[in-house]
Amino acid sequence: MSETEEFKPYTILPGETVSLDKYKNEKDVIKIGPGLLHEKHQISAMKAGTLKNYNNQKWWIDSSQRRYVPSLNEHVIGKIIAKTQDYFRVDIGSAHSALLSTLAFEGATKRNKPNLEIGALVYARVSLANKDMEPELECISATTGKANGFGELKNGFLIKCSLGLCRSLLNPNTPILTALGEHFAFETAIGMNGRVWLNTADISNTILLSNAIKNSEFLSAKEIKQMVKELVKQSEDDMEL
Amino acid sequence: MSTKIVTPGKKLGTIHEYEIGPGTYIKNNYIYASTVGEIYIINDSNKKLPCISVVKDKEQSVIPEVDSIVTGKIIRVNPKMATLAIMVVGNKPCKDDFQGIIRVQDVRSTEKDKVQIYNSFRPGDIVRARVISLGDRHSYYLTTAENELGVIFAQSISGETMIPISWQQMMCPKTKVMEYRKCAKPN
Repeated sequence: MSETEEFKPYTILPGETVSLDKYKNEKDVIKIGPGLLHEKHQISAMKAGTLKNYNNQKWWIDSSQRRYVPSLNEHVIGKIIAKTQDYFRVDIGSAHSALLSTLAFEGATKRNKPNLEIGALVYARVSLANKDMEPELECISATTGKANGFGELKNGFLIKCSLGLCRSLLNPNTPILTALGEHFAFETAIGMNGRVWLNTADISNTILLSNAIKNSEFLSAKEIKQMVKELVKQSEDDMEL
Repeated sequence: MSTKIVTPGKKLGTIHEYEIGPGTYIKNNYIYASTVGEIYIINDSNKKLPCISVVKDKEQSVIPEVDSIVTGKIIRVNPKMATLAIMVVGNKPCKDDFQGIIRVQDVRSTEKDKVQIYNSFRPGDIVRARVISLGDRHSYYLTTAENELGVIFAQSISGETMIPISWQQMMCPKTKVMEYRKCAKPN
């Protein structure tokens, strides 16, 4: 019976091969995920990032690119760029703009269509995504047919960030959001296409929040707390002047 | 077997001398040419009279007719239809490709409202279809709603030729991945 080694995540570049034999026993089944390709008899990396695993069984590369590639059932934030009778054309940051049918909203009928202006932001779910067709979005939940948080995002402020940062923000206990939550009341929507929408009562707070989130990508939890404290203190000092 | 060139309207003979073929018409018991081309007279032992025809080029280009079986390559898909470049009509290749459309309701005969075009055809697939109408200005309207119609050749994402497993799925022999297509029944 072979001994399995302890694995430490390390930085990997595209083209490097990975040998997983020393991390598994003979009969284990290994699943390879995003960023890895199984070709012939070797596993090679396709993206630059950190090679990580879960339980030595699931392996993937954590990478942070900025260009979004639409994927089925992901939640994204898009901006309306054009309107026709049957659908809205939405920019989600991918290679092609997406189509959002005017009937894909809760309670929408042919007579009662949503009234979205050009430039409005919507929170939607990707319902069709493949390399041969334009992506399509829906503003209703796949299972229940109700809005469930999808729909127009009114007011607020949109920032763009990398895909890795958005993925980490989706965890409700992420250090940056909990640290900011101690000082401010705010509302946020996170799109997996590298876009984050923020809404607070005061504009200066919105700017502070957006700067804090953008800065937090590569900081550790302790550094994040420190950074938030400094930003809050600086803004309070500015207010007093 | 003659090589005389004629223009439209040229009197070629009477209906008592020849049977008419492509490129000719009858008016007042006389046979006239209807197109520019060469006269071909073919003797057919089954018929009483030889057949006269006026042919523009040596190779006659076939044109899809209603109810003819055509074969072509999918060039574009969108959620409502798939666009096909018709390359072969019956057994004969066309000189230039024609354009045909397979609408979402003409992909198959059962559960027409649940058809997903992307699970039936992909760009690059070779498809056998039947012409249902001469269509609009741009394309013929085609259908694959029969057992013998559908995808006859497709390549998987890894580039290998896929093998049909059922009328709905094809499998790549190298990576063993199953992909959805509306397959034609192999004969």
